[in-house]
Amino acid sequence: MLFKIALKNLLGARLRTFLNVLVTAFSFFLILFMSAMYNGMLQHAKQVTMDTEIAGGAYWHPEYDPLDPMTFEDAHSAPPTAVQALVDEKKAFPVLVSQASIYPGGRIMPAIMKGILPGQNIVNMPTDALSRHEDIAIPVLIGKGMASDTKLEVGDAFTIRWLDADRTYDADEGTVVHIMDTENFKLDMGHIWIPLNKAQTMLAMEGEATYVTYEKGLPTVQDKGDWLSRDINYLVQDMEAIIEADKPGAQVMYMIILALAAMGIFNAQVLSIFRRGREIGTLMAIGMTRPRVVGLFTLEGGLNAVLSAAATFIFFGPILWYFGAYGIPLPMDYSEMGMIVAKRLIPVYTIGLVASTTILVSITVLIVSYIPSRRIARMKPTDALRGKALA
Amino acid sequence: MENTAVITINALIKRFPVGGDFFTALKDVDLTLGTGEFTGLVGPSGSGKTTLLNIIGGLDSPSEGQVSVLGQSLNDTSHKERALLRRKHMGFIFQSYNLLPVYTVFENVELPLILNKIDSEERDKRVAQAIDWVGLSDKRDSRPAMLSGGECQRTAIARAIVHQPELVLADEPTANLDAENSHHIMKILVQLNEELSTSFIFATHDEKIMAYLRRIIHLDDGQIIKDEKIENPEASA
Repeated sequence: MLFKIALKNLLGARLRTFLNVLVTAFSFFLILFMSAMYNGMLQHAKQVTMDTEIAGGAYWHPEYDPLDPMTFEDAHSAPPTAVQALVDEKKAFPVLVSQASIYPGGRIMPAIMKGILPGQNIVNMPTDALSRHEDIAIPVLIGKGMASDTKLEVGDAFTIRWLDADRTYDADEGTVVHIMDTENFKLDMGHIWIPLNKAQTMLAMEGEATYVTYEKGLPTVQDKGDWLSRDINYLVQDMEAIIEADKPGAQVMYMIILALAAMGIFNAQVLSIFRRGREIGTLMAIGMTRPRVVGLFTLEGGLNAVLSAAATFIFFGPILWYFGAYGIPLPMDYSEMGMIVAKRLIPVYTIGLVASTTILVSITVLIVSYIPSRRIARMKPTDALRGKALA
Repeated sequence: MENTAVITINALIKRFPVGGDFFTALKDVDLTLGTGEFTGLVGPSGSGKTTLLNIIGGLDSPSEGQVSVLGQSLNDTSHKERALLRRKHMGFIFQSYNLLPVYTVFENVELPLILNKIDSEERDKRVAQAIDWVGLSDKRDSRPAMLSGGECQRTAIARAIVHQPELVLADEPTANLDAENSHHIMKILVQLNEELSTSFIFATHDEKIMAYLRRIIHLDDGQIIKDEKIENPEASA
């Protein structure tokens, strides 16, 4: 019964309902869109990291700590037999990591020098650019960010100095053979990539590696010696932490939008109740109990939320779909800020996101509908009939 | 037609707080109304007509005294019980019609039946009958904004009688209407009273209404100063 009356009231009020629904739908859209952007950013960052760096996971030398360059000096050995077997089967590739200094344009810069197998096709890196350069002393692959920082271009030569296994400093000339355009700043900033065999020779670490990355879907090898198994979840945790650090900002925005929507609906409901005092009195006079009046107005708010969800789908659905399909071009390169953010960010709408946003907005609408409705219960029918405002 | 008591009021006093003091709107009112009466509460503005009507309708509470309507004491009933009494056994007609603006004539009249949980088929039948009673069959899908004052009041009457209540309370039902519409409305109400034995109580100071009343209770300064029965009203259906 209440549903029928509430629906009639809503549909009958036409413009008032339309405006209420439109404001709520817009808030709905903004919340959904912002959350989807955040989801998209997270998913993209994970995907890029897995695609270009992590693949299925890695085995690390026990001394290796990527966040502490001082460990690189001792973090090398021949991979355990089972791990080496994966490399031989081309299901994994080794990387040898060391500290180096480079001298682009005569300036000294610290760098992380990584030797990588040029023929690997497990991660999405243009490492094949490092092959076919027998005439060059050290072919070097760098990222766009590194090229920008060092002002190096393809064909430019620069001095590389490193400390070998015998703790002897050595130097040679590296030549940029390719500049890669990667969204993963961790492959780019401060990194120079050289062929693995060249790195092993330079560092006097023949057959050794710092870590071995393996392809997706492989089970963990049993005989990995003292090397450490690092799965995807472990390897993405730093990147997730960076994104998580940005979460409070997103949540504040989320709350602001939700609060704006709630205030809009609250105002509309309060105004509606003030304007409909006589109507409320009439309903009481013809026998509607106070709890039912409260229920009616709260239900109207709830139906408002349902209509808003439908309106979001109808009015903003095409926009959400368009962005979901084609993404949004971002005006700046975030890699310099240490973030893996796509140049064209694609929002990701999950069922969970849509459901949680719908529930959250609906609960908010119900609460802000209930609060002013509850005040009706205190109103005397005679006052309501006179259209007297609530005190 | 009049037999059992529909309303019994004993020593009713109603006070309203005004500033730090009280204003006494009704003083020692004693009244009994029987079934099928066609009664008017008549008096100048501020005499207590509407207050008495509101108390009879359970919209307001007495400060002192006993009020019993349709056999139910209003002194010790909850809001919910009073709402149920109004829903099932009373109809209200207001000076300013109080129609719900977003509803059509049909929907406005249908509302008391929805509240009484009458099934859809029966509702349609009763609403059509009530609308026919007041002569608005051709306006059933119109909204109040599209109706004249007389048509609005006829819609309000249909709403008040559609669930066939024992008692209809009408507060200045013709105050916003011209003479022709006023007579039309009153003739409808007299006809309803005679055919359905519905008791009517009017709060009015309109001479046109008084011509139809069979009992006139004069109020002044919150007190009943005269209670007259009229055997042959000047006007009739």
